[in-house]
Amino acid sequence: MRPVPDKGKEPVSHSRVPTILERGLLFFLVWLVLMPSVKLADLVVGVIAAVLATWTSLRLLPPEAGYLRFGALLAFVPHFMWQSVLAGVDVARRAFDPRLPLRPGFVVCRVGFPPGPARNEFAVITSLLPGSVPAGDVEGAIIYHALDTRQPVAEQLAEEEKRLTAALIGGDGHD
Amino acid sequence: MTSFLLAMTFFVVVMVAVGLFCVLRGASNADRMMAVQLFGTGGIAALLLAGVANGTEGVVEVVLTLSVLAAFAAVAFVKADESGAKDDDRPEQGP
Amino acid sequence: MRIAADIFTIVAILTGAFFFLAGTVGLLRFPDTLTRLHALTKADNLGLGLVVLGLLPQSSSVFGGLKMILVWLLVLLASATVSQLIARAARRGGPHP
Repeated sequence: MRPVPDKGKEPVSHSRVPTILERGLLFFLVWLVLMPSVKLADLVVGVIAAVLATWTSLRLLPPEAGYLRFGALLAFVPHFMWQSVLAGVDVARRAFDPRLPLRPGFVVCRVGFPPGPARNEFAVITSLLPGSVPAGDVEGAIIYHALDTRQPVAEQLAEEEKRLTAALIGGDGHD
Repeated sequence: MTSFLLAMTFFVVVMVAVGLFCVLRGASNADRMMAVQLFGTGGIAALLLAGVANGTEGVVEVVLTLSVLAAFAAVAFVKADESGAKDDDRPEQGP
Repeated sequence: MRIAADIFTIVAILTGAFFFLAGTVGLLRFPDTLTRLHALTKADNLGLGLVVLGLLPQSSSVFGGLKMILVWLLVLLASATVSQLIARAARRGGPHP
């Protein structure tokens, strides 16, 4: 759905060049969605904008900081769409239930990801899951706020971690 | 279809208004950030509905800007809150 | 064809409106800031997603539709980021006077 370079263009080494090309192409595709015109002047402005955006992104998030496999993450989009539907239904069910079935509390969840982009990405993705929102981290773990601590929140998160490890760390598991 | 879309616009606006009212009853900074968030999501939905209902598709451009701005506003607010919390000072300049 | 698209629009937008209602009811009934945050982010994101989905067949051009999807993705990304920032602030600060 989101314009993303195809998998053949994915970086295979940790060299900077493929990452830069990938980001540049992504920004240019976003430009084309925003400004669907094939006039030369518009395209030139688009290329300039994409170059500036890529340069900014390299300043803010250098490729050395860790690297995310967009292609591998894309494979999880349907799964997380569905989780986010379940999350909405879960909240709606609790909100309309006359007995208001809540048992809010914090759940500390150990994660294997080192602090950095991989862990942040994991936190962002898991914030879509039903009944949990990341609310802080401590050494080697993320603290989640759960709507109902009777639910197996920690188990569910461990499951997602297993699922995502290959995509976020860049091991050769998925893809 | 137009009247259906306008009715839905009205409904979403009412929901956002009621939501804003009860979020803003809570006085903490986190509540205020939630108000921004609610206004962002609900406002975007209402604008899109109204734009399509009136056939003014240009609204989408406005909405794009709004969605990016709402995100930056919320992040800025949290950053201000963090630095304010350190010297126990409440920042008043919200988005 | 037109009728099928219109029915799709009506069903999707009504479902989306239902989730906006659920989010607001959650905001009214849930006891504290963090639980209200759940109600806000999870229900309203889904509501916006369904509204966008419902509006797609009514869009006059493909790019209008793509832009709406882009808006939704931006909102989803922003709210996933912002919701944890808010949760952190709420956990750290508790209610300010």
